[in-house]
Order: sequence, then structure tokens, then C-alpha cells
Amino acid sequence: MTPFPLSSAALLKSAADRVRSARPELADGLDLSSAQALRTVRAGLHGPRTAPADEALAVVVIRRLDLPRWVCETCAFALALAPGEREAWRRSFTRTVYLAGSPANLRERFAFAHVAGDDSVAWAGPAPGAETAALRRLLKAFEAAHELTAQRSATVTVPGRPGTRPPAHRELYIATARVSVTGALVHLNHLLAEAVLDGLIGPGDRLTLRFVPRLTGLGAQLALLRVDTDVHRPDELQAYAALTTEV
Amino acid sequence: MNVPPRKNVLLAPVTVTPTKPLTPSHLKGLLWTDVMFRATAPLAAVTYRYSHTTYHVTEQTVGFWEYLDRTHGETDYTQLSEEEIGELYVRHRAEGRPQSAEVLRPYREAVEHGGWVHPASERMLRLWAGHYERLGMHDPGLREHQPPGLGLEEMVERLGTVGLVLDQRQCGGPVYLDLTRYGMPLRRIVTADGRPNYLACALRELLPLVPWYDEVVLLYDRELDADYRLLHRVLTSLGPPVRRVPIGRVPIEGKITSARHGGWRDHTAGALLRASDATDAAAGADGDDALRLGMRLYFIATLGPGQQQSFRHDLLRHCLTVAARLLRRSRSAAGAGDLAGALEPHRRGHAYVDPYRLACSLLGKGRPAPDPSLLSAVFL
Repeated sequence: MTPFPLSSAALLKSAADRVRSARPELADGLDLSSAQALRTVRAGLHGPRTAPADEALAVVVIRRLDLPRWVCETCAFALALAPGEREAWRRSFTRTVYLAGSPANLRERFAFAHVAGDDSVAWAGPAPGAETAALRRLLKAFEAAHELTAQRSATVTVPGRPGTRPPAHRELYIATARVSVTGALVHLNHLLAEAVLDGLIGPGDRLTLRFVPRLTGLGAQLALLRVDTDVHRPDELQAYAALTTEV
Repeated sequence: MNVPPRKNVLLAPVTVTPTKPLTPSHLKGLLWTDVMFRATAPLAAVTYRYSHTTYHVTEQTVGFWEYLDRTHGETDYTQLSEEEIGELYVRHRAEGRPQSAEVLRPYREAVEHGGWVHPASERMLRLWAGHYERLGMHDPGLREHQPPGLGLEEMVERLGTVGLVLDQRQCGGPVYLDLTRYGMPLRRIVTADGRPNYLACALRELLPLVPWYDEVVLLYDRELDADYRLLHRVLTSLGPPVRRVPIGRVPIEGKITSARHGGWRDHTAGALLRASDATDAAAGADGDDALRLGMRLYFIATLGPGQQQSFRHDLLRHCLTVAARLLRRSRSAAGAGDLAGALEPHRRGHAYVDPYRLACSLLGKGRPAPDPSLLSAVFL
């Protein structure tokens, strides 16, 4: 992957690349040339009527949120997926729902794929929606409307024994201005999951979380971006999270 | 002879918020509870807990008060009928305008700290007290300040110590009652912006009360069954047996609707009382006695615990006539005077007396005339 600086062309390319890598068979027939065209494509791909019932869906059950820990555990969950699960989840754009719930109260009734060591968060799937329907019926959508507050930068180590390549150290930037805690989870989850599936993040890697109001003017060399509609300008794109090249 | 000790029984019915007129569904619940209370009193030490103070802080009530002050300003509510106040409530609900926790805060604080009640609800409660009096219902303190034993934070903390709460306020989320370990759904009790619902209020009231009793009876609308199953599970964990008594609503012309939509004209408690004044039974020597017994025969024995039968003025009138006849027969009956003996068979393994079985026992061909002491203790 070639490193790139942040620019509006990079935002558009990033968003288009994401569609191409998740659904290569569709990408040729889609217009990915502008932010507006991308938005139309996304609406078509994620619309409730078009989402097939067998689309892979991950479920995150959150009791208490500690963002650095959650980043770590999200990577651990994605790293442990079987090849078939990885493939299916990538094709569904790493679709994930976030629910409020207490993993310790649910473990006897539901089989989780991964549970954080302190029982603060648990993951189920990714699997066709029917497999997690009972769990989703029991719980409620995770609500965290507060704006994400900037925290001191923190470095976490991705769990697991390093594989063939030596552990890397990258920075993980997160936008906070007008981004709710729930919004930040969505952005980080997609970025981290897709970075793991693409092999950018591996066991033993270190990630330094940096909180900034907006990623504008980020001088760092970037490896992966999370792009969505701009909080101020609905026709433009904004980077909400970014993973840098090795530091 | 060994006399078993009298049990302490708590009756905790769901309250009717004083924002709209009493409808047949409300009357049914109130009469049901009244008969249960008065029939259980000779057999057990029974407490009838019915605190409006506890539930005034729910959105339904403080939201209405804020609406009235915003849209009507200075108004002499003492001159309004319950139907007129109810019309204002229907307009408030139709407005559908969201009210933030911040807008409602002064009202919640006034209830919590000063026992304040808006004059519109004060008027409504005064009118209801009149209906209670006329119907011979025990007044459980309609206009008294009866704050719950726990504050909101204390309640959340108490649930937290037994692992039954999920509190996500630190990141801008709500507070949930969490019984998922029993396979019961997560239920929000305080919104993210700090608004408690009626279940939070019920928990503030009942958590500290329940351990003092040998038996607790929850009476509620069938529509609230899912919430009352949760409440039942929480309270059961505190010790005493908890009984759920769901009571079906009374459909009007086949439809069960909430009072917030209106549609109660000619069916309010006031309207029914006015209509009953014109009946032969009321005109007779028995006056209010026939009204009191007849209402109980209709709303308890005739309608039963379900909600299949729509309200029928003619059946209510018929019950008033039957009541007048029963009263005449009762006066000429000898009366064994064994009140406890008459009530005991209707307990069926629990401490409280089942109002439906008891009321039905008065009816039917060939039954002996009811004992006057039973009627005066329970039905008049």
C-alpha cells in the first residue's frame, strides 16, 4: 500500500477503494467519481431493502467503554476470525451493530466470539443476521450521544503472538469535533477491522491513539483512512479516523 | 387453639396520572383494588400504597404541567371539570412537541423538593376524591404528599449492588434495568438526558418497601405486562412472594384506547355517576349503597379480569338493579356475622382475597342472601 498525504483527492480515492475492495464485482459498474456519486452508491448498498438476510453482521455488546482498551479488543476480535468469516464480513463492509448490554449476564445464554478480559465488551459474529437475532431482541442499541472528548494520547499493544513480520508501530488519529462517542465507535471499528483484514494490523503491533478535533492538515504519511460525509457539508467527504504508516 | 399470625400484605396498584378523567378502565382497576383491600383487611395487616407524589415526575404528568403553563398562563383551574382538564391533556398529547429534560426540570424539582402539585392536577385529584367518596372507595391518600423511599440515584445504586442495572450515563447513554441474565429484555428506565419513566418511579417506591412485607400484590393494566414481569423479578429477589394481578382494560365500542386520545365522553366516572342518579335503583331507599354495590358487581363480577367485553351502559344499569335487590334481601337475612369465615375461601393459597371470586360469590340463582356485615365491610 502506497503512503499518501491527506487531501480531498485522497478522501475520494479512499472511499472508492473501500467499495472496490469489498465488492470488486460491482465496482466496475458503479460511479465512484465524486462524493455525491459515492453517497448514492452507499445508499444503494446499505439501504434496508437491498441488504440481503445472509449478509454478515457483527454484534458488539458494550457494558462500559474505555476507548484504548476497546481499540485493542476490536483488533483481537478481527484477528481471530476464520478465513470464511473475514471474506463475508469484508463483503458486507464490516457491518456491525452496537448494543448496550452486560457480557457477564449474557455469557450463559449466548456464545460470543470474543469477550474483553474485564467483561466490558463482547463480540458476536460476523454471521447472517438470524444468528444474532435473539441477542439483538434482548438488548437495545448502544446510545452514547456525548461528543467524544479528547484524551491524552495512549499507546496500546494488539494482543497475540507476532507472526512472520516484526511488530509495527502506527499512529491512529481520531476526529472529535461534532463526533459522538457512538459515531467514533463506528468509524474506528470499520478502520480497525479493515486494517486487520488487509494485514495492516497484526498481533503484537503497537497503536498510538491521537485525538484531534479534525484530521485536516495531517502531516503524517497515511496507510488507511475512514471517510464519511463531512459534519458541516453534506456534499463533501471528511476523514474521521486514520492509520499512519509505521513510525 | 393456634391462631396463625396475621400477615403483612402490601397492595401496590399502578396509579392513574391526574391528567385526564377516570375512564371505565381506570374505575375497574380502582374498584378491583378497593375490594381486594377491604376484603383482605379483616384477615391480614394490609397496606394500600398509592402515591401520586411518586409518579408526578413522569413525563406524562410534568410534561402536561409544562404544556399548560406554556400555553395557558394564568387559569383558574378550580372552575374546570375533569372533562375540561382532560380535553387540555388530549390537546397536549396531540401537539406531540418534544419537551427536553431541561424544560421539565423545574417541575420535577418542585415535586421532589416541595411536594408541589400543579393546580390542574390538584383540581383533578379533588374531583376524584369526590368520586371515591361517592363510590365508597377507601382514599389511599390521593392528595397527600407521599414521597418514595429512595431518590433516583439511590435507586440506581441499590440496583447496582445486586447487579441489576446497566448505567451508561458516563458516555451520554441511559440507565437500563438489566435482567438479561434471566433472559428478560433490557429496559430503559432513565433516558440519556435524565428523564425517568414510571418503572424507575415504581422501583424508587417499592425497593425499600417490599422487604417489610410477607406478601406483595402488584395490580396493573394488562398492557403493562412486560414491565410488570420485570418488576416482579426484581422484587421477588428481595424476599417476599410477589403476586402479579393483571387487570384487563374496558374497551369502548370494541376499542381499547389510551385516555390520551380522548374518546371518553359519556364514559367518564363523573358521567357514569350522573347517569346512575337517573336510575330506579338510585331513586330507591338504598341510594348510594345500590350504586356502590352495583358498580362493583359490574366492574368486577360482570367484566371479570379479561378485556373481552366492551363497556355497556345497559349492563351497568342492570347491575345497579341487581344490587338494589341483593341489598333488600340482605336486610332481611339473619347474617351469621362470621366475616373472616366468609372471606377465607377466596384467598386460594395467598394472603390477599381475590376480588373476582368474592364478587361472583354474591351472584347466581339459589344463593343465600349476602351477609350484611360482608356487604358493609367490603362492598358499600
